Amino acid sequence: MISFATTTIFGVDWIFLKPYIVVGLALGGVYALSGVGVVVLYQATGVLNLAFGAIGAAGALISYYLVNHTSTPHWIAYLACVVFGAIVNVVYGMVLGPAFAGRDPLVKMMGTLGLALILLGVMAWRAPAGGAFVRVLQLPTSNHRYTVFGATVNLTQILALVFALVLTVGTTAFLRFTKIGTAMRALASDREITATLGVPVRRVELAAWLGSGIVCGAAGLLLADLFTSLDYTALTFLVISSLAAALIGRLQSLWVTLLGGLAVGLAQAVATPYSSISAYRTAAPFVLAIIALLYLGRHRTVTLSRTAG
Amino acid sequence: MLGLTGSPAELARGVIGRSAIIVAFLGVALFVVPAVLGGDWIKTLTAVAIYAVVAAGLVTLYGRVGMISLGQIALLAIGTWTATRISYAADLPFPILLLVTGAITCGVGVLIGLPALRLSGLYLALITLMAAGAVNVVLTTINFPNGGHGFTGRTSTPDLSGLQPVGRPGIAGGDTAYYRYTIVVCALMFLLIAAHFASKPGRAWASIRESEPAALATGVNIVRYKLWAFALASFTTGVAGGLLAAQLGQPTAFGFPTQDSLTLLAAALIGGIYSLWGAVIAGAFSQLAPFLFQAQWGIDPNFLLIIFGVGLLQVLLTAPRGIVVQMPKDIANLGKLGAHLFRKVTGGSRSPE
Repeated sequence: MISFATTTIFGVDWIFLKPYIVVGLALGGVYALSGVGVVVLYQATGVLNLAFGAIGAAGALISYYLVNHTSTPHWIAYLACVVFGAIVNVVYGMVLGPAFAGRDPLVKMMGTLGLALILLGVMAWRAPAGGAFVRVLQLPTSNHRYTVFGATVNLTQILALVFALVLTVGTTAFLRFTKIGTAMRALASDREITATLGVPVRRVELAAWLGSGIVCGAAGLLLADLFTSLDYTALTFLVISSLAAALIGRLQSLWVTLLGGLAVGLAQAVATPYSSISAYRTAAPFVLAIIALLYLGRHRTVTLSRTAG
Repeated sequence: MLGLTGSPAELARGVIGRSAIIVAFLGVALFVVPAVLGGDWIKTLTAVAIYAVVAAGLVTLYGRVGMISLGQIALLAIGTWTATRISYAADLPFPILLLVTGAITCGVGVLIGLPALRLSGLYLALITLMAAGAVNVVLTTINFPNGGHGFTGRTSTPDLSGLQPVGRPGIAGGDTAYYRYTIVVCALMFLLIAAHFASKPGRAWASIRESEPAALATGVNIVRYKLWAFALASFTTGVAGGLLAAQLGQPTAFGFPTQDSLTLLAAALIGGIYSLWGAVIAGAFSQLAPFLFQAQWGIDPNFLLIIFGVGLLQVLLTAPRGIVVQMPKDIANLGKLGAHLFRKVTGGSRSPE
């Protein structure tokens, strides 16, 4: 008799695989979340934000401090992380955004690397990580556990996935139906022409910075929880693997970014029980992104200018 | 940019002046520095020379051809790994080991460079970053050879008593001798790159950087020259990896985090991405500055990250050619200001302008 419970997939029992699928979907949700934040900002301003991880990590560190060393109500502490992300992003967009506006996308990206390094330096200076001391930031939602299809799921994992879905749907609707959203789509096509048509370009760009800053903060908070320890260096450079989702979406499509993020998270987690590839599972984002980029560039022949493409 | 204006006599003077500076620089590096400094300083300066060669690869790719690679540290890691593996497998003379390592890394680099034919700008930068991430995961897993058998050359139960570090050349066993050896090899690598800049490939690269369609129209074989640039940068980086393997003796994967490729590009941009001197400054920035801050001055090295970030933003916004061009300009301006103030104070005659 064949029962579903004893099905094996490539030699691993389905029962053992289920928890990894849960973890993978939650992780994929955060990847997708970061990816959507990156794509919206890139489309509206041409900036690929490498400081995404650093901002989230710094916000999470602030929340950690507020929760553990002050008597601030916890919900305010968690809100502080999101607000911090929004403030840093908007200030950067306000002060340096215009200065970088006409530059090559690559230069814009390196500019945000400057911001990431500054934040990383400040974090390491103000909150040195040392020896066996590990900061743990656990959201209260992680204590709510449910059983879904026989696998244990906590509320944070569900939140990560739901948040990613809501953000993708919401952003798509926002870009399509609101005035600012339409302006952002226009900016994505051509900044100069959009400005000529009387769109307040800088204000629209600031709106994009604000939105992606909120996502930065939320993603930082979720990642700090999902990764069990608040290692700000790791979180800062997690942006490299998070970019994979955005790249799979060609830095363009929000839905493909969502699917890409989920695929990356799933591939990374589900590979865990397979001993032959388990050690290489963290390469999943890179490999998937490389495949996507190569597929994307298959028709290109000659670059028309230095800034194109 | 190359200073190719003026009469032949002026040009000749420029060449002589530049050669004099290079010879003086090498003289100081080879003879004065080892006489004055020792110990950790020498080890740090060896690393500076090695990373300067890696940065020179970035100068070649971005400064000359306009292609960005964010995987140079991963390539350095591949070079170091290859040299370590070969040194355990065969007893080659050190220069041959370096050449073989360079050649193998060159092959890998060309492979990574293949997408460059289809991608450009941001996408090329990102695919190389992704490749670097993947390489890092693989190297962290298989780790560096420690004298075991098989392809990975790693045994989980190494006999620590008989474990030999990667061999240094016979004539350069000690740290100071190895430092001199490294300086000479790195100078040769810079010379190789400079020779490319000054000849046909250099001109082809410049035309590709300015406009690909125009380069194509003038008959430049874009595929060939782009791959050539990747091959050159990878070869020199591979040789640098070989030098690093013998410098470290027992390299580990932790020495090559993916983000270092990003910070090295930042250092190269700050130093001056359009000049080989900028690469030297980048090497000093990435290796010497942390040493100075931590070991010499006792300052929290994390301040360096902040300075680095601010410096990067400043260079991108106000001085895209980096320190190497900006510094002499600033000093000249400062000198002018000083002279002006001096005249004002002394009440001397005004200059004719």
